[in-house]
Amino acid sequence: MLLQQDHYKKSYYETPFHSRTSELNILNEWQRWKDYTVATNYFRTDLEYIAVRNTTGVIDYTPMVKQKITGPDSAEFVNRFFTRDMNKIAIGRVGYVVWCDAEGQVLDDGTVFHIRENEYWLLCVERQLDNLSISAIGFDVEIEEITDDVACLGVQGPTSCSILKAMGFEGIELLKPFDIKHYDFQGHEIMISRTGFSGDLGYEVWMVNEIALNFWDELFEKGEIYGIKPFGLDALDLVRIEAGLLVPGEDFMVAEFAIRPGSTRSPFELGLSWLVDLSKPVFNGRQALLEEKERGSRHTFVKLNVNGNKPANGSYLYNQSGKKIGTVTSAMFSPSAKANIAFASLHEPWKKGKDKIIAEIYYQKDLEWNRVMEEATIVTKPFYDPERKRITPAELY
Amino acid sequence: MTKLKKKVVVIGAGHNALTCASYLAKSGFEVEVHESRSEVGGMACTREFTEGYKVPGVAHLLHMLNPGIQKWLGLNKNGLEFAANRLKTISLNPNGNALVIDGDHLEGDGITDQHRAEFKSFKKKTNSLARFFRSAYQGRPPRIRTDNKKDLLGLMQTGWNLRTMGNEDMTDMLRFIAINVFDLLEEYFNDDFIKGSLAIDAVLGNHLGPRTNNSVITYLHTLTGEIDGVQGAYAIPKGGMSSYTDALKNSAEKLGVRIVLDSHVERIIVDDNGKASGVKFAKGNEVGADVVVSGIDPKSTFLCLVGARHFEAGFVHKINNVRMRGNASKLHLALSGLPSFNGVDEKDIGQRIVISPTMQYLEQAFDYTKYQHCSDQLPMEITIPSIHDSSLAPEGHHVLSAIVNYTPYSLKEGWDEAKPVVLENVLNTLSQFAPGIKQQILHSELLTPKDLEAEFGITGGHWHHGELTFDQFLMLRPFPGMAQYSSPIESLYICGAGAHPGGGLMGVAGRNAAVELMMEES
Ligand SMILES: Cc1cc2nc3c(=O)[nH]c(=O)nc-3n(C[C@H](O)[C@H](O)[C@H](O)COP(=O)(O)OP(=O)(O)OC[C@H]3O[C@@H](n4cnc5c(N)ncnc54)[C@H](O)[C@@H]3O)c2cc1C
Repeated sequence: MLLQQDHYKKSYYETPFHSRTSELNILNEWQRWKDYTVATNYFRTDLEYIAVRNTTGVIDYTPMVKQKITGPDSAEFVNRFFTRDMNKIAIGRVGYVVWCDAEGQVLDDGTVFHIRENEYWLLCVERQLDNLSISAIGFDVEIEEITDDVACLGVQGPTSCSILKAMGFEGIELLKPFDIKHYDFQGHEIMISRTGFSGDLGYEVWMVNEIALNFWDELFEKGEIYGIKPFGLDALDLVRIEAGLLVPGEDFMVAEFAIRPGSTRSPFELGLSWLVDLSKPVFNGRQALLEEKERGSRHTFVKLNVNGNKPANGSYLYNQSGKKIGTVTSAMFSPSAKANIAFASLHEPWKKGKDKIIAEIYYQKDLEWNRVMEEATIVTKPFYDPERKRITPAELY
Repeated sequence: MTKLKKKVVVIGAGHNALTCASYLAKSGFEVEVHESRSEVGGMACTREFTEGYKVPGVAHLLHMLNPGIQKWLGLNKNGLEFAANRLKTISLNPNGNALVIDGDHLEGDGITDQHRAEFKSFKKKTNSLARFFRSAYQGRPPRIRTDNKKDLLGLMQTGWNLRTMGNEDMTDMLRFIAINVFDLLEEYFNDDFIKGSLAIDAVLGNHLGPRTNNSVITYLHTLTGEIDGVQGAYAIPKGGMSSYTDALKNSAEKLGVRIVLDSHVERIIVDDNGKASGVKFAKGNEVGADVVVSGIDPKSTFLCLVGARHFEAGFVHKINNVRMRGNASKLHLALSGLPSFNGVDEKDIGQRIVISPTMQYLEQAFDYTKYQHCSDQLPMEITIPSIHDSSLAPEGHHVLSAIVNYTPYSLKEGWDEAKPVVLENVLNTLSQFAPGIKQQILHSELLTPKDLEAEFGITGGHWHHGELTFDQFLMLRPFPGMAQYSSPIESLYICGAGAHPGGGLMGVAGRNAAVELMMEES
C-alpha cells in the first residue's frame, strides 16, 4: 500500500498521527526513524519522562518495523529463526526475542506477537524482510512487511490501564504482562498488548491507519483527567535505560551492518543467555553459539551504578591498574532510581569479582571540559522495577 | 575389541557411492547401499534404448580413472577391460578436412610443423598444470578460515605444491585460472580450427562458453585423469559402460557391501540431537544407521532428503545458491550400418569424434543457453562404441552415442515442445558432417538434462552435480564453508560428484569421503 503518494516531495513519511503529533510538538523537534519523522521532544524531555513515570505518556511507534509471518510452517519457522524456544510463546502472548547470523552474532532484538494459529508478528528496529525470506527457504510460510499498514501507539504509565478502560475496552485490566487482546474500535479490529519499553505498567495499541486519528482523539479526551501527555524519543531513551532494555545500533552493533570483525556481539555477550535455548536441535547461529559456549565469550554486558552524578555517556572503563576493560554504551542519571546508571560492555583483562571498574567521564561546564574518574559497581536487578508492572488485574485509578 | 561394527547406509549406487562403500567395507564398516534404479552405476551405465541396441547410458568415455582406486579395488580382476584405449580425437571440419589429435601429436590437412610444435608445448604446459590439480584432488580439501590443525596443514601442503611447481608454472597457474580458455588458446595458436577443436573440452558438461571465466579450470579438470598411466587418454570399456560399474559392484560385494536395488530413499532421518540415524524409503519402510552417506548431489541431499528445517538458514541459503544448470544432453542412435564422416578414414570412425570447428561456434551456441534457448548449431562429442564391442548392436548394425552440449536444463519454450525440434537440429548438424546418416537411423533418443534429472535424481541433470567454477572448486566445493565431505548434520556425509573434486568417472570423491568418514567415525 502506498501510504503517501507524494512522499517524494518531502523525502520523509508522516505517520497517520502526524496531524496531531505536529500540533502537540511545540518545540518542533523531529527525528528520522526508518523514513518516518517522529517527535524527538514535544515540550520538555524531563516533563515528558515524568508523565510516563507518574501518569501516562503516549508515543507514536508507527515506524517500528513490523513483519507478518503466516502459513502452515510458521511455528517451526519462528523456532528456527529465533534463539529461544518459541513453543513457549502461546497464542495470544508476546515474547522478547533476539536472532543471530550464522556466526551467532545478534542481528537485532524485538518482540514476537503470537497472534493466532500460524500467525506471528515480529516487531523490531531494523528491517528483516531479507533475513526472514532467506530463512524461509524450505518452509511453507509467507513473510510480509506491514510497517506502513499498521499504526501503533505506546500508552505507558501508571494510569494507562485506567485510560483504556475509560475508553471502553472491557477487561483490559485482566491482561497479564505480554498478553494480547483484540477489541473492536469503531467497527475496526484493534489489537492491544500489555507490552512496552518503559519497564512499567503500559500497553501498545495496533490499528489500521484509517482509525488512527479517531483513536488518538478519544485516547487524549479520555486521558485528560489521568494526566495523559505525548512523549518523544528522548524521553523514551530515558525510560528504556531505566527498564534495562537494549537498543540495536547503540548498545550493540547490528551484525549485518558491522564492518570490523569483533565489533558485533553474541546474545551471551549482551547478557541475553536466557533467550538462547541450545537444547533446540537447530536455530540460526546455534553452531557458532555452541562453539562460543565452549571457547568462552569475549565480552560481558553489565549494568552499572556509577558514583557521582555525571552521566557516563561513551566513557572508557578501566580496572584498578589503568588497563582499558570496556566502554559504556548507554548512560543517564536516573531520577526514578536516584542513581547514575549505565550499560557497559566489558572485555579482557577484566576479571569478574576481582577487578574494579572505573569510568572516565568527561563533562562540560561553560564550554570547559572536565574529567572525573568514578568507580562503578555492577547491578544485577533492573534499575527501575515497580511491582505495578507485574500485578494483574492492573491497578486502576 | 568387542565394539560392534558401525552401520553405514549409502544412498545411490553411482560409481562414487560404490567406491566409497568399498573403501568403508574394507576398513571394517557394515555397509548397505540403496539405489533407486534397478541397476548400479548411476550415470555410468549401459542402456538398451531400443530392443537389441545398447549404448553407454550417459557417460560414454573413461578418461579420469584413478589408478590408486583401480588397483586398491582390483577393478581389473573384477571385470574391467577396455574395448578400446588411447582413443584419438577426430575433429570434424565443415570444409571436409578432419583434424586428428593423438596425445600431443596433431595431424591433418594444412597442419604444419609450426602447429605441431605449438600443440606440443601447449600440451606440456596444460598437462603439467593439471597435475597440480590432480595432487590437490587426492585428499580432503583444506578448509579456509579455520584454526584446525589438519586444515592448516592441508592449506600449507596445497601452497607448497603450488610453490614447488616451479616459478613459471606457478605464475601460469595463477594467471590461467583467472582467465578463460579463449584467451589461453589465443596465446598458443593461430589456427581457428585447432582452437575450436580443443576448446570443446573446457565447455563439455559445463554452463560456460570459451570466453567465460573458469573455463581453464574445467579444461584442466579433464586433463587430471589418466588411463593406464597415460594422462588425458580416452577409453571405452568392454561390454558397455556398465562393465566399469559392475566391476565396482563386484568388488564391493566381495568386500561384504550389501547393495539393494529399486530402493528409493525418500528421506534421511535426523534424530532429536541433530544426528543422522537412518533413512526412510519411498516404499514406506525405514532402516536405521550409525552413519549415512549420500552419493547424490548436495542440493537434493540437504534440501530434499534432509529438509531445510534441519539446518541453519545460512547453510540453506548457500546450498540453495549452488549453481547446477545442467546443459549436456545425450543422443543415442541405432544405425543400420556404419556411418561415414567427411574427411575421416574408415579406420578412424571408432575414435572420439568432436564437432566444434571454432571457438566462435561454441561461444555462439552458449549465447543461446544464456537466454534459455537452444542454438540449431550445437557442439558434440561422438563415439560409436559398437565398432569396438559387437555385443552392443546386431551384426552389421551400429549404435552412436553423442554428448550434445548447450541444451540448457531450463528452456524458455519448455522441453516437451522443444525436444523434437532440438533432436531434428542435432541430426541436421550431424548429417552436415556425415551426409548419409539420416537414412541409417532406425531409432533415436535424446536425453535432455530434464530427463537425466528425472532418471538419476540429480538436480539440473548436472554432469558434476554442481558447476565446477572457481567459487565451487577445491576447498570451496560444494560451497565455501562446507569444503568437507561431512555436513552440519552429525554422521551425514556426501560422497558424490558434488563434493571435491567434482564429476567425471574417477571415484575420487567417493574415496576421499570414505577416508574422511573413517577419521571422523572411528
Ligand atoms: C550427458 C553427460 C555425459 C557425461 N559423459 C561423461 C563421460 O563421457 N565421461 C566421464 O568421465 N563423465 C561423464 N559425465 C559425468 C559423469 O557421468 C558424472 O560425473 C558421474 O556419473 C557422477 O557420478 P556419481 O557417482 O557422483 O553420481 P551418479 O552417477 O549421478 O549416481 C547417482 C546415483 O544415485 C541414485 N539416486 C538418486 N537419488 C536417489 C535416491 N533418492 N535414493 C536412492 N538412489 C538415488 C541415482 O539413481 C544414481 O544411480 C557425463 C555427464 C553427463 C550429464
